[in-house]
Amino acid sequence: MISLTHYLVLGAILFSISIAGIFLNRKNVIVLLMCIELMLLAVNTNFIAFSHYLHDITGQVFVFFILTVAAAEAAIGLAILVVLFRNKRTINVEALDDLKG
Amino acid sequence: MTFQMFLFYFFATIQVFAGLRMISVRNPVHAALFLVLSFVCAASLWILMEAEFLGLLIVLVYVGAVLVLFLFVVMMLDINIAQIREGFARYLPIAAVAALVMVVQMIWVLNDKVFKASAPPPALPEYNNTEALGEVLYTQYVLQFEIAAVILLVAIIAAIALTLRKRPTTKYQNPGEQIKVKRNDRVRLVQMKAEKNEVEPE
Amino acid sequence: MSDLVPVIPEIFILTMTCVLLLVDLFIKEDQRDIVYWFSLAILASAFLLTYQGQPSERELVFGASFVRDSLSDILKLFVYVVSAGVFIYARDYLKLKGMYKGEFFLLGLFAVLGMMLMISSASFLTLYLGLELLALSLYAMVALEYHSARASEAAMKYFVLGAVASGILLYGMSIMYGLTGTLNIYEIQARLLEAGDAGRTGVAFAMVFILVGVAFKLGAVPFHMWVPDVYDGAPTAVTNFIGSAPKIAAFAMVVRLVIEGMGSLHEQWLQIFLVLAVLSLLIGNVLAIPQTNIKRMLAYSTIAHIGFIVLGVLVGTADGYSAALFYTLVYALMSMGGFGVLLMLRREGQEIELINDLKGLNDRHPWLAFMMMLLMISMIGIPGTVGFVAKLWVLEALIHEGFISLAVFAVVMSVIGAYYYLRVIKTLYFDKPDSELVMTSNWDSRLLVSANGLAMLVLGLFPGLLVPLCVAAFAG
Repeated sequence: MISLTHYLVLGAILFSISIAGIFLNRKNVIVLLMCIELMLLAVNTNFIAFSHYLHDITGQVFVFFILTVAAAEAAIGLAILVVLFRNKRTINVEALDDLKG
Repeated sequence: MTFQMFLFYFFATIQVFAGLRMISVRNPVHAALFLVLSFVCAASLWILMEAEFLGLLIVLVYVGAVLVLFLFVVMMLDINIAQIREGFARYLPIAAVAALVMVVQMIWVLNDKVFKASAPPPALPEYNNTEALGEVLYTQYVLQFEIAAVILLVAIIAAIALTLRKRPTTKYQNPGEQIKVKRNDRVRLVQMKAEKNEVEPE
Repeated sequence: MSDLVPVIPEIFILTMTCVLLLVDLFIKEDQRDIVYWFSLAILASAFLLTYQGQPSERELVFGASFVRDSLSDILKLFVYVVSAGVFIYARDYLKLKGMYKGEFFLLGLFAVLGMMLMISSASFLTLYLGLELLALSLYAMVALEYHSARASEAAMKYFVLGAVASGILLYGMSIMYGLTGTLNIYEIQARLLEAGDAGRTGVAFAMVFILVGVAFKLGAVPFHMWVPDVYDGAPTAVTNFIGSAPKIAAFAMVVRLVIEGMGSLHEQWLQIFLVLAVLSLLIGNVLAIPQTNIKRMLAYSTIAHIGFIVLGVLVGTADGYSAALFYTLVYALMSMGGFGVLLMLRREGQEIELINDLKGLNDRHPWLAFMMMLLMISMIGIPGTVGFVAKLWVLEALIHEGFISLAVFAVVMSVIGAYYYLRVIKTLYFDKPDSELVMTSNWDSRLLVSANGLAMLVLGLFPGLLVPLCVAAFAG
């Protein structure tokens, strides 16, 4: 049988892939936004797996809200991206050096 | 290996592969399509875990709307692919090692016996996942449901406030004005003398 | 029906903001002041509603996902005051910048609603939704100046890092849910106590993810990368907002998630908080010194102040928590005033960006310079000001629990920090003005800045006005 650990490990792998993607695509904001979506997908998989194995609907309710928020987040993120592109004609994060720490 | 086990490995493998390709392909359009693939696999896995409503929701809302929005933006912006790929090879070893270490650590923790719950018995035929979610969503979680609505409202306001701009060069149609137009504004009747045709028809 | 009573302020703010949204559509460009006064009226009425309905004991409603107690009330009251102050300081600045639009106030009010929900959350779900409501409004506010490359760049950085932080926080929450089987913070607290040492690895694993998310939102080192860039790139009015009220909400998040939810794990999170506090104090104070841009300087000083707040929390006693609460509230007021003074001035028609832009303020506007000096010496923590009381209380709580070396370190760092605040005061008083420096603000901001500066003195001389409230918040 598929155990809870199977799903959790899958979630962990997806989460790590998204973190690696954030490191790798520092220059490419649009793929960064996709990595964030993948990260939320990993979290959602975790919640649904727990919900299933604990026999508790709460986890699925949380996923429902994460999906809603993630959609809103994507809309705002892409809006900011469009504004940024209009101003700088690039989405290269390293060209974003007006602000230096 | 049961059929369920086979399905799990089938979809999980594709999903991990799609995730890896998403972060490594050159073209952002391909990346978005790999993300779609990853979401579709996730939907299948969720349905395998008897979360049918969310499985369908993610296909309809996510693949259908959000990722299409991504594709739309990628295609709208004129992105220089060569430029955004600089430094990818330089970060690859560090990122790969960091991710591997992270995965190993996480798997080590998640293999703990705490998480070794056995699978619950399959749900009864009359169990309805959508109904079960709906029942708590509009009663116990009504406050959160309202907040989610407010978040969507904020997203609407923000997206419009950020991207709506009036360009002086753009030409607009104003239906109100168009309807209000009177005959006299547009048509001028001019009295003219009848003229003789200069060239005689043959 | 009784479920709705504790939520009345939230319902009021939401309804009135929606009304304001409609009003804003139908008014003309030159009547924008209506929106401004309307939003101030909303905050004032919410203040009265919250103040009136103070409960005698903790109330849990909506399936125990929303809590109202004396802590939530005092935090909310300060959120209203600080947000209203930010709006008042912002008005003339926004007008001059051509950003005087309804969206600033609308998004600000939605952010206030998000903060209120974070403050009152008794469940991971409410906390997450409140956090996102706040964060999404802030991202958009930073980018509101949409023709500025710097602002949109700051917004993008803020967005990406904020979204990653939320993702990490959620991952931790999912594991915690799996371990305890509930999202309710008080039930999690009970189950963790009950479980004792069993399954500690898993709990620690979840805790680390949650704390990373919290540290990101607080802006504590090593998760502080976004703070200077966002403070610098955002329009100053928005910087003022980000720097003040959301810190109160972030403190509430620490209380709900860490102190209440994971109170039984104090020994574990103490270690992580120690690192955060020491690094924040060190990096914040040291990196603030070379800054010439005053917004960046104040950003690093924020990081240092966050270090102090974390110090108060890590003590792990009610006294320490009260001290941290007092520090947070006072810091929000100081930060609001500091940026407020920058918003009131323009040098040769340009915004104030560099410390040198404030040269000779005393010659031109002695009262404003005096207020700025009061705010700065309060940030240093000179006796007589409220900043001193706040620092002293945190240090006392530390020493009482035996963290002597940590207290000494904090004092040394405060002394280092005094340098860059004193440099501002020196610029105000001893440098000669070399160009035109105009106060562009109206009577409302002038009145507010006087109240804000004098509050530093009044609260410093009579801390008894605020201290008992902070003690009562953690007495239960």
